[in-house]
Amino acid sequence: MRAPPSPTASDPGNGDGLMHPVEITFDALLLFSMVVLAWQGVHARNMFRAVVSFIMFGLLTAVAWVRLEAPDIALAEASLGAGLTGALLLATLGRLAPERRGARRPKVVKLSTLPWLTMGLAGTTVLLAVTLTLPAPGLGEAVLAAMPAAGVDSPVTAVLLNFRAWDTLLEIGVMLLAVIALWSLGQDVLASKPRLPAPALPALVRLLFPLFVLSTFYLLWRGGHGPGGAFPAGALLAAGLVLALLAGAQVPERMRGAPLRWALGAGLFAFLVVAVGLMWAVGTFFAYPPQHASILIAIIEIAAGLSIGVMLTALFLGGEPTDIKGGGK
Amino acid sequence: MSLPSTAMLVVILVTLPLAAATLLFASGRQPRTLTLAAALLLTFAALALGFNVHLEGVSVHRIGGWAAPLGIHWQVTPSGTVMLLVTALVGLAGAVYGAGYFLHRPGPEGRMARVFMPLWLFAWGGLNALFVAADLFNLYVALEVMTLASVALVALSARRMALQAAMRYLLAGLFGSMIYLLGVALLYGQYGVLDFDALAAMLDVEDAGSRAGAVALTVGLLAKAAIFPLHFWLPGAHGRAEPPVSALLSGLVVAAAFYLLLRLWFGPLAGMLTFGAGTLLGVLGAGALLWGGVLALLQRRLKMLVAYSTVSQFGFAMLVFPLAISGNREPVLAGGTLLLANHALAKAALFLAAGTLVRASGSERIGQLVGFSGRARWAWLAVILASAALIGLPPTLGFSAKWLLLQTAVSQGAWWWLGIMLAGTLLTFAYLGRLLELALLDPAPGPSPPPVLTPALLVPALLLALLACASGVWAFDFELDGETFVRLEPGS
Repeated sequence: MRAPPSPTASDPGNGDGLMHPVEITFDALLLFSMVVLAWQGVHARNMFRAVVSFIMFGLLTAVAWVRLEAPDIALAEASLGAGLTGALLLATLGRLAPERRGARRPKVVKLSTLPWLTMGLAGTTVLLAVTLTLPAPGLGEAVLAAMPAAGVDSPVTAVLLNFRAWDTLLEIGVMLLAVIALWSLGQDVLASKPRLPAPALPALVRLLFPLFVLSTFYLLWRGGHGPGGAFPAGALLAAGLVLALLAGAQVPERMRGAPLRWALGAGLFAFLVVAVGLMWAVGTFFAYPPQHASILIAIIEIAAGLSIGVMLTALFLGGEPTDIKGGGK
Repeated sequence: MSLPSTAMLVVILVTLPLAAATLLFASGRQPRTLTLAAALLLTFAALALGFNVHLEGVSVHRIGGWAAPLGIHWQVTPSGTVMLLVTALVGLAGAVYGAGYFLHRPGPEGRMARVFMPLWLFAWGGLNALFVAADLFNLYVALEVMTLASVALVALSARRMALQAAMRYLLAGLFGSMIYLLGVALLYGQYGVLDFDALAAMLDVEDAGSRAGAVALTVGLLAKAAIFPLHFWLPGAHGRAEPPVSALLSGLVVAAAFYLLLRLWFGPLAGMLTFGAGTLLGVLGAGALLWGGVLALLQRRLKMLVAYSTVSQFGFAMLVFPLAISGNREPVLAGGTLLLANHALAKAALFLAAGTLVRASGSERIGQLVGFSGRARWAWLAVILASAALIGLPPTLGFSAKWLLLQTAVSQGAWWWLGIMLAGTLLTFAYLGRLLELALLDPAPGPSPPPVLTPALLVPALLLALLACASGVWAFDFELDGETFVRLEPGS
């Protein structure tokens, strides 16, 4: 998700002088491919091609974040921007009438493109000019100075769950809200089994699913001292769950209804309980006592990570799973 | 007697709605007593906060104990407290009305009642978080909570037109968010701070990048506040939504985006409010005022008329910017805030009463509304009182607000703006007068047997309208003391 300004993302190139020619070539290729894929995503007249271009674009964006030395954002981009959004788009495509699926979209009228193109170019030029002159001071040093009292070793986790935890709480609220909003529109659209011509998928998923769960917990644990934490971990969990759904799994009967809704709300609830509990115990909202900071942050991370995983899966489901026939996973 | 501390009240105001919404959603039940208890508690907290701020003035609270550039601050200001108070009043009124309105919903629309309260509380929490925030990024997140909840609330009315309006609102809202976020990024890239006070101290008003950032912030918020010509999404979304939703959206959500414009331009960006910038904002306001007013005059559906009236009224509010270019800004900010408060109370009352009248008449057409008879007369009374407040007749809150702005315009010799204000007031008088004339002099018989109008459908609107009318005296007296009701935020 949108992370607050990350201290690691500032000043990528400074300090180590000129870039290696290989790096320059790589970046130029990356940039070129991204522009081509973006163009294809918007202009490909075959919808399936457009979706695939979009997924590829998401993957390359993740690579670009790696090049900008922001691995946390790269993880989120790869799992959300490419993985989950891609799965959503493909599922939508599968739900369209067959004749529309590969349909050629009507060509964009030339006349209306011109003003938009001019405006876009002008806007980009102004932005580029402004961005190049930005001093980009950032709060990196302030973050590093406060790290000893943060309770975690990773600066990104410290910003997300300590210094600016109030932002993150509201962001989790936005995600839960998105699920409620979507569910308020109607029933689960994926109730019918997706017709995917992939006979090997169920076996593969049975093999891979434990790995997804394991990696989720690894990322949660790693969030304390390196790239990782609740958002990437939740996204990975969601990827595993969505894959299972695609392979034909159903939400287990006993998980439907209240248990599922509590799992969705657990992240926001843990956040609120800790924040208000600290107000009551310490007298300041969200003020972790340094000796308990690590454990409190870990509790929030685990609850938020699991909730994020379930919330993203719920968004993929498209509606509250109803009582239909079909057993567990 | 000892009231809870200001910090405690702020924590209650921002966390209770979210906690209650999560509980309601997770449990899947709708204990009416619990939701109403939460709404009442929030209202008491807002009242107590108003009392505290009246005694203590502006206060700043560090979240997590972290100091400014690193951590986030809450800033409790008098203007923000006024907004928190009207949010609580409209929130409570809407919750009561909603409980009564969705009660008699037949069949599959029971779903509506089930998600209404969680979404309502989320919107309430987002609004409260926004009114105490003093940090560019934190405001972005609060705006997101508020906008997403609003879109979902519009989509609750599952009719096709409402869904289309919700989709359009979502796209306009996301556009606004993105542009606002761009502005945040530009300013953060320039100064490395997000806190209002820190930004105000560092901002270089001549710098091109900062100006681009200020423009982006403003355009994003103009889209969210539906200021002409970015108002296109508002009439559909507000006119087609269910009545309590329209009341929340028109009264508070649009006002929150506008309040943020006030906070920025009277706070960190105050140095940039030059003749050019102020005049441009004023011209947009004049456009909105006239366009919205004329279209309101042409509407045939009751709720669409009220929705276009919102476009027009926020055009009026935009006129605070040209008046603040030079001279004393405090009465202008006071007038602007009171204008928002008046609009929130009166417009929410108008939409709630409109919903009741539409149900009583079985039609939305103005020509087919029932007259001043039976229980519908209480709804009409609310409409009349709310109209008086919107027009700005003495002694309503609208009168005090407009009087402050008119005085400033006269003292500055700003005759153009004065003329536009009078034109706006005349237009408001015209379209509300036309509504009352059509409905009261030429009433329709209404369906028989007449639908049951429970007190929940009548009392909230009437109380809000009465408050808009009665609080004017108090606000006006406050001004006459020479004591400014709303202080400039520190650091500007």
